[in-house]
Amino acid sequence: MASSAAPKKDLVDPIFRAVAFSAATMLLITLGGLIISLIIGGWPALSKFGFSFFTSTTWNPVTEVFGAAGPITGTLITAVLSLAIALPIAIFIAVFLTQFCPKIIAQPISTAIELLAGIPSIVYGMWGLFVFAPWFARTIQLPIITSIPADSFWGKLFAGVPNGANIFTASIILAIMILPYMAAVFRELFRSIPPQVREAAFGLGCTPFEVVSTVLIPYVKKGMVGVVMLGFGRALGETMAVTFIIGNAHGFPNSLFSSGSTLASTIANEFAEATSEMHLASLIALGLVLFLITFTVLAIARALLSSQRY
Amino acid sequence: MSDSSVAPNTQPETPADVQADARFESIIVPPPADSLVMEVRDLNFFYGPNQSLFDVNMPIQKSGITALIGPSGCGKSTLLRTMNRIYDLYPGQRAQGEILLDGENILSPKLDVTALRARVGMVFQKPTPFPMSIYDNVAFGVRLYHKKTKAEMDEVVEKALRRAALWDEVKDKLTKSGLSLSGGQQQRLCVARGIAVEPEVLLLDEPASALDPISTAKLEDTLEELKRDITIVIVTHNLQQAARLSDYTGFMFLGKMIEFGPTEELFVRPKAGKTADYIGGRFG
Repeated sequence: MASSAAPKKDLVDPIFRAVAFSAATMLLITLGGLIISLIIGGWPALSKFGFSFFTSTTWNPVTEVFGAAGPITGTLITAVLSLAIALPIAIFIAVFLTQFCPKIIAQPISTAIELLAGIPSIVYGMWGLFVFAPWFARTIQLPIITSIPADSFWGKLFAGVPNGANIFTASIILAIMILPYMAAVFRELFRSIPPQVREAAFGLGCTPFEVVSTVLIPYVKKGMVGVVMLGFGRALGETMAVTFIIGNAHGFPNSLFSSGSTLASTIANEFAEATSEMHLASLIALGLVLFLITFTVLAIARALLSSQRY
Repeated sequence: MSDSSVAPNTQPETPADVQADARFESIIVPPPADSLVMEVRDLNFFYGPNQSLFDVNMPIQKSGITALIGPSGCGKSTLLRTMNRIYDLYPGQRAQGEILLDGENILSPKLDVTALRARVGMVFQKPTPFPMSIYDNVAFGVRLYHKKTKAEMDEVVEKALRRAALWDEVKDKLTKSGLSLSGGQQQRLCVARGIAVEPEVLLLDEPASALDPISTAKLEDTLEELKRDITIVIVTHNLQQAARLSDYTGFMFLGKMIEFGPTEELFVRPKAGKTADYIGGRFG
């Protein structure tokens, strides 16, 4: 009995290790395969247009000239704008929930955050297109356009067709989408701070504002950098909602209220109708660019995290 | 203060065993009346509906070390936390009675709590360095109240670190994170941060319970040094520490101050039976 059990037992660990190893390897192989197929698929476009693929704003499926400067800029602008809108609000929500909020209200707000985070992105897109964009065009865009001289600096910044489908409204929708996620994680970060740290800060005579701004936020800033970068990554790659509302114009977005496109929205819009080889290759090349941008963001996040001194 | 009789307890939430003990009286041998800096008078404390301190009285001698001992849950930390009103942070916790600091009742709702906490500092059980450099940790509290030039601040920081007996260990790495220090050093950094604002009273809540014996000895030396200028109140689980360090000791049990007096008296000739039992190791 014992002699037959012993060899069996000896097998368990090697098998266990092999399974764990192959699971991890599978991930690497998938990633590598993805990169390689993106490069192969996008190569015709990249080799034909060269560096101008990244700098040209012409995106013309009819003449088969493709440049991705418009979608690249659109992607970066919408992601940065949405982050700029969502970040402070998310911090305030988390601070309120963990520092000042009576328990009775904290629960409903927390539930609302989780519900918001669970809404599928296409629903946000629909709401954005049918409700938010028309409202925005009527109550904000039109008054601004009519009250500011078109050739002034502000006039140029806010120029655009007043239909609400533009870079700015897309950024707001994106902000709404990344907000609940960021607020929820910030809340957990603040909750992880030992209560003594907060008491120590109050114990020195800090006001609540000083406690939050000089002690609590620095205490969790490492985690916050990570959250911000993940939110940024989500904003970069978010597809459906943005496709609905950004206006899908290929040119370089020359004002806050002009229609534009992002890498993801262009792919989603055109993949089904990309019949020519060059068009398809250009779209795949867009995917490669999006991948590289996201990768860069993660790399920067890593670098920031390791350079934090405290 | 010697006539610190206890008012009849009218709180309905009072545990039965305490309420039944209607003849209970604290035994208090106070320091000379003219040497008092702080005085707790008939203090009752509530966590929501639960009362955890019952008519506590405690005189605190200026420039001395007062220790609070007693078994877990006896209310000694709670008492300490009323003395800079840190309990204010938590809705539902409230204190009744008086705590006089230089004759002023600090429990008064009109009191500026922020200013109070500058006068009564606190060091916690676990070290709580802030996520900033050693220098900034010490300068932190000072910056809240005073604008100082770089040179003045350097002086304040060095003085505080010297008094906390930490200067020699950190003088070459003031820009390093406070969190990079060892546990004992972190705790002395918190002491330095607390004394940099020159408080009148420093409260310490079991400051050595997370420290090794060597760090504990260093911390105790620090407190001995500090007591010349700063009144120290320390909660400790360690009876030897209370006996070594303090000038006066209070023994608490079930939310009451059982006995308070000069440390030597209390340890050598305890007047209350409970005190003798606790010190003798018969419970706790």
